[in-house]
Amino acid sequence: MVVSMGSTATAYLTGFGRYLPGEPVDNDGIASRLGGDDPVTERIRRRILDANGIRQRHYALDEHGEPTELNEELAVKALRAAFDDRGIDAADVRMLACATTMGDVLVPGFASMVHGRLGGGPMQLLSASGVCASGLAALDAAVSKVRLGDHPLVAVVGSELSSRSLRQRRFDDIRAGMDSHFLRWMLSDGAGAVVVEFQPHPSKPSLRVDWVRQVSLAHEHDVCMRAGMDGIEPGVGHTWQDVGVAEAEAGGMFVLRQDVTVLDELAEAGIEQFEQLVDIGLVDVHHLDHVVCHYSTNAFRDAAFDGLRRRIPSLDTEKWYSNLETRGNTGSASIFIALEEAWSTGRFRPGETILLAVPESGRFSFAFAHLTVVAPPDQQGAPT
Amino acid sequence: MTTDTTTAPTGMPSTDEGTLFERLAEVWVELEEHLARVPVLIRLDDGTVTIDDYRRLLFNLRQQVVDGSPWISRAASNFDIEHFELRAAAIRHAEEEHRDYLMLERDYVAIGGSLAELRAGRKNIGSEALSGYMFHYADQPNPVGLLGAMFIIEGLGARRAAGWAGRFQEVLGLADSQVHFMQYHQEADSEHTGALEAILTSEMIDDAAADEIVRCAQVVARLYALQLEELDS
Repeated sequence: MVVSMGSTATAYLTGFGRYLPGEPVDNDGIASRLGGDDPVTERIRRRILDANGIRQRHYALDEHGEPTELNEELAVKALRAAFDDRGIDAADVRMLACATTMGDVLVPGFASMVHGRLGGGPMQLLSASGVCASGLAALDAAVSKVRLGDHPLVAVVGSELSSRSLRQRRFDDIRAGMDSHFLRWMLSDGAGAVVVEFQPHPSKPSLRVDWVRQVSLAHEHDVCMRAGMDGIEPGVGHTWQDVGVAEAEAGGMFVLRQDVTVLDELAEAGIEQFEQLVDIGLVDVHHLDHVVCHYSTNAFRDAAFDGLRRRIPSLDTEKWYSNLETRGNTGSASIFIALEEAWSTGRFRPGETILLAVPESGRFSFAFAHLTVVAPPDQQGAPT
Repeated sequence: MTTDTTTAPTGMPSTDEGTLFERLAEVWVELEEHLARVPVLIRLDDGTVTIDDYRRLLFNLRQQVVDGSPWISRAASNFDIEHFELRAAAIRHAEEEHRDYLMLERDYVAIGGSLAELRAGRKNIGSEALSGYMFHYADQPNPVGLLGAMFIIEGLGARRAAGWAGRFQEVLGLADSQVHFMQYHQEADSEHTGALEAILTSEMIDDAAADEIVRCAQVVARLYALQLEELDS
């Protein structure tokens, strides 16, 4: 009689890639791409840039503000970089999980477009939509399928090209308060990708995925970050699909907005979710070596850092990693772009643990992942 | 590795060399001794086996496993009406197993192998010998001796395959769905060996048949081990 133990495989991150379009744009180069060079907008921009701490970012826009690439192209370039890092090609991929806030087209799904451009063979697709946390939602799906043994190799990419909708033409004749300025001078473009496999990298260290957790608190929070709706109350007649496109545009529905008054609440809720992970034992604060946290601005870095430090007194800036200041806030791509840079610059040592943390303001979602650095498998005794 | 011997029920053909089950148990012991010298099983045992070893093992097994149902079917067609029970058993068995290779193929794909390459593969030297022998034997009129082949092959499935599956999982961190073929055979072949024991203890098996069964078991045991030794050759 077989007693099935229900064994699962283990998922490892074995390849890392990113793509940031064009040359880095410093704070003085923003206006030529996104517009908004009137004195009032200029003043607001300076204030927001001072607060968010971003010094440099990338746009898939030329110096006149015209798009240079599609979002799907950014995704494919990040994926190819991850494949090169792992030494595989698209034909080895059995599943592709893509995350983005907004693809290039309304239909079909983003993953279909990325797969079409990427090539390779037949594969399972997942388009995770949402905002920042959708990157880890895609990773979660990939890791789950690898653990089940359904796929030996899955590619995950988070990709954003928000700059197109941040340009001046979207804001002409539109009531644009802090709810839109905050995002306009914060978001930028980029893509980050990882390769997930059921075996560690044969000759280099890998990141074992210990767990991924996601939670939404939308049941008790109003919409915070949005586009395509009028106000924060969803209802017939208040989404862009219910009214004429021209009417929706005139009503400012195509502008990305964020209710900045609840962002402190978001930070607190994120800390609370982290506390819960500590309380149920998924995070052992005495064995947590690195934190890679996504946050939209440095204001929240300090809130998050202080919150984590309450539970991890030993947490210092050495353990804390973010590349927001130089790579910008790229939404669902951010966590992968940060992880790639931390990984490739040698921050992690075998045996160390890493917590990925991604709060999402959309309607209060939070995603976390716990990773352990593993050395390449001992080749001794292997067949000759 | 433990040696699993079979106790002989009463009422079996018995010669100076012992009952049929005692003689088959001796063949099994010899098989175990051979298996203990198979390189991939040694690596499995000592925990140095690699994912490539497992992939190669599946690749090699598949090329012979696809022949399993055909040789049993061929044997079925060569049992005359006097051997109706054996014919019926062989038909049932062939039907039960004819899709098993698909499970193996799914395992192979689940660990990153290419289905097209797997299906384009050829038998290794041991598999050629084993498969050739089985088809040759199945072509004979009333090939009763093949019950000895069943004893070995089903015995490996029932007694060893799940252990191998578990050990591959342990060493390589594999999911159930990546070792399904080996896991499944413990259950399926345990049922088959039960049915086989019933036939071996029945009045259908006389002394001459018992000799044939033991001889066939010896050959198949040796060739099966050879198949595992000669990976990719």
